[in-house]
Amino acid sequence: MSRHIPLLSALLSTSLLVGAHAADVPAGTTLADSQVFTYRALDEVSSFDPQVIEDADGADIARDLFEGLYNQDADGNIVPGVALSHTVSDDNKTYTFTLRDTAKWSDGKPVTAGDFVYAWQRAVDPELASPYAWYMELMSIENASAIIAGEKPITDLAVEATDNHTFVVKLSQPLPYFAKMVSHTTTFPSPKWTIDAFGSDWTKPENIVTNGAYVLTEHVAKERSTRERNPMYWDNAHTVIDKVVTLVIGDDSQALTRYRAGEVDKTDIPAGQYPSLAAELPDEAYALPRLCNYYFTFNMSENGPEAFKDERVRQALSYAIDRQVIVDQVLQGGQFPAFTFTPAATAGFEVPAVDIAGMTQAERDAKAKELLAEAGYGPDGEKLAFNYLYNSSEAHQKVAIVASQMWKQKLGVDVTLENLEWKVFLETRGAQNYDMARGAWCGDYNEASTFLDLLTTPSGYNDGKYSNARVDELMAEAKSSQDTQPLYTEVEEILADEMPVVPVYHYSTNIMLKDTIKGWPIHNVEQNMYSKDMYIVAE
Amino acid sequence: MLNYTLRRLMAIVPTLLILIIICFYIMRLAPGGPFTSERALPDSVMKNVLERYGMDEPLHVQLWTYIKNIVLYFDFGPSFSQKDRTVNDVIAQGFPVTLTYGFWSAVFVLTTGIPLGIVAALKHNSFWDYVMTGLAIFSQIFPNFVLAPLMVLLFTLALGWLPGGGWNGGHWSYVIMPAVALGTSYMASIARLTRGSLLEVLNSPFIRTARAKGLPERTILIRHALKPALLPALTYMSSVFVYMITGSVFIDVFFSTGGIGQDFISGAYSRDYSIILGLAILYCVLTFTLNLLVDLLYAWIDPKVRSNL
Repeated sequence: MSRHIPLLSALLSTSLLVGAHAADVPAGTTLADSQVFTYRALDEVSSFDPQVIEDADGADIARDLFEGLYNQDADGNIVPGVALSHTVSDDNKTYTFTLRDTAKWSDGKPVTAGDFVYAWQRAVDPELASPYAWYMELMSIENASAIIAGEKPITDLAVEATDNHTFVVKLSQPLPYFAKMVSHTTTFPSPKWTIDAFGSDWTKPENIVTNGAYVLTEHVAKERSTRERNPMYWDNAHTVIDKVVTLVIGDDSQALTRYRAGEVDKTDIPAGQYPSLAAELPDEAYALPRLCNYYFTFNMSENGPEAFKDERVRQALSYAIDRQVIVDQVLQGGQFPAFTFTPAATAGFEVPAVDIAGMTQAERDAKAKELLAEAGYGPDGEKLAFNYLYNSSEAHQKVAIVASQMWKQKLGVDVTLENLEWKVFLETRGAQNYDMARGAWCGDYNEASTFLDLLTTPSGYNDGKYSNARVDELMAEAKSSQDTQPLYTEVEEILADEMPVVPVYHYSTNIMLKDTIKGWPIHNVEQNMYSKDMYIVAE
Repeated sequence: MLNYTLRRLMAIVPTLLILIIICFYIMRLAPGGPFTSERALPDSVMKNVLERYGMDEPLHVQLWTYIKNIVLYFDFGPSFSQKDRTVNDVIAQGFPVTLTYGFWSAVFVLTTGIPLGIVAALKHNSFWDYVMTGLAIFSQIFPNFVLAPLMVLLFTLALGWLPGGGWNGGHWSYVIMPAVALGTSYMASIARLTRGSLLEVLNSPFIRTARAKGLPERTILIRHALKPALLPALTYMSSVFVYMITGSVFIDVFFSTGGIGQDFISGAYSRDYSIILGLAILYCVLTFTLNLLVDLLYAWIDPKVRSNL
């Protein structure tokens, strides 16, 4: 195997030389006596089992309990976890990871390549039936799809432990961002002996064995879970936080009250309250760019309205939305007006200069009127009316009302707003029983394809049924290309031109964080937290 | 009486069966399922997931399996949303929490409501009567979803005496606010009921007879008046207690107690069929048992009822 290392891996190897990330306490800092970090979670986690977890709160806990091949640093770059480095074969399809020999499970057993083989096979095992099996398919691991479909045994998954500390993965096609994907919880190792011994009870605090910086010591479902230092963790000497407590608080404002009472160190800011909290507690209120987008999707399927099949109508409706007003006046949480589908915060993605972004709102409004008239709608033509569907929530309702007012005033369009409970909404939108609907997506990994893939023809989330052969082709090409920016730029330009969706804004995360808590990843757009990298300073 | 109890207990079986069948089908009528997600799962993944939970079978087969597992193994199935846990786990952990603060809430309601009512009746139209009426009005305009946040503002934020939520193994400081917030409006109702019925009893002929016989007022109250006067309050309390346990969803969510009310809400949103069904069965059995207990208690207190059993 030759040592052709593509660009990304080359960059990666450099960062690997820096060494692993740990709590980076500057000299002279006085640490607090009690290193207990308590934060609020919205809901009970789906699971503690890395291969089964499907929610962000669960993933936060799993990153403390387990350690995958790579971790992320405070900026979201990958840094060594259990793996020290990797090499890539000439055809860019075989990845060989070298694991550190000091990594141990909390019961003292060494972490071996076999633990990863077992975990990855488990993730695609039809018997475990993990909803996140699709992630393994997305990683393009050879035979993953066939195994999930029940056509091949799990032992056919192209992962291999050539020795205790060498883990080899074969891909069905080159994937430039593959190395980034192995910091995801689905790819974390799992302890076969514990799972064999306790079955589905293996994640209970009294049974669970983990290889991360923390072990689970307490779990009271819907109230709290506690994790404490794992003395067996290879980098335990550099861990500062002794104990992490997750409190489940379902109500946003109650969570804020408990934050004010000092019961939690971090919580989410209730919708609309960022400006007042930022004024009151400027050192504790944060609005951070987040890897998520918010858009309106046109129903372009056969069920959709005839008007939306006309590109000019879609463009007009997009141009007439004053995103700045929505961001500044309605949401007020540091969100970003969006003219592209992919957020600017996405790693390695340069926002292309699409036409619509360069215009003033007055120019956009004029253009919108013109386009709609050309298409035969508006004052001199046919009356345009449609339904806008969103899931019940105060924030979505506000956006819907403002957008419909903009369309009404500027274009004379009548919009009927319709809101549905979440699952009913998903079902209705998924069955294309709507005219226009709300859409939003948060990246599964920090790369533009996590967004742009959604608008390809076969995507499971393409509820507008947009289909453009060139977009499909470009996105397929991007999977194996070493220079993806030109491809993504072209896709975004096609989207800005054909406007199958109206990008409205890119999210921000609004949180309250006590100013004594240091090392929380405020610069990581995925906000992937690692408690081992944090510390608490004395007040 | 034993016969009556047995008859009542036996009636629970068909009731439950009907409840299960109705709930089972009604839940499936709601659009979306436990595995409907923002990004639709690929068909192959969905197939595996459905197979794992036996949801690929026809509905009547699923229903039969469900009932069979309950009867044979007392197994209420796995939770779809909390994947590491079964419904048995969920109830075993959440129900004691709700029951604990429900119990203390009932104690609070009875120990404050009944004395308040008695005092108000005895000191009819006096200052104490007005205090009681005032309290009753207060608790009506401050239902628990208003009272709870106010209490938190006062006792947690302003005074710092009590934690704003959580359970912490049921430490007393975590139980007080949920119990009081849950009970206050019932406390006022109990007080009003007690007041009204005690007034009525005190004006009835047999009390007049007792007075005419020269019994001391104290004996009249304790030995003769109180027992019949407490009947309406007792009936009310029994149905209220079931309400307090089953209707405490807001308290569970607001105070993050970890009680089963939270599961009911999140179960409904996530279409966690087995959780919803499991809790419906629990609530049904609870209502049934408590009603039976109350009827028996009633019979014990009131000879007229006893002879009819």
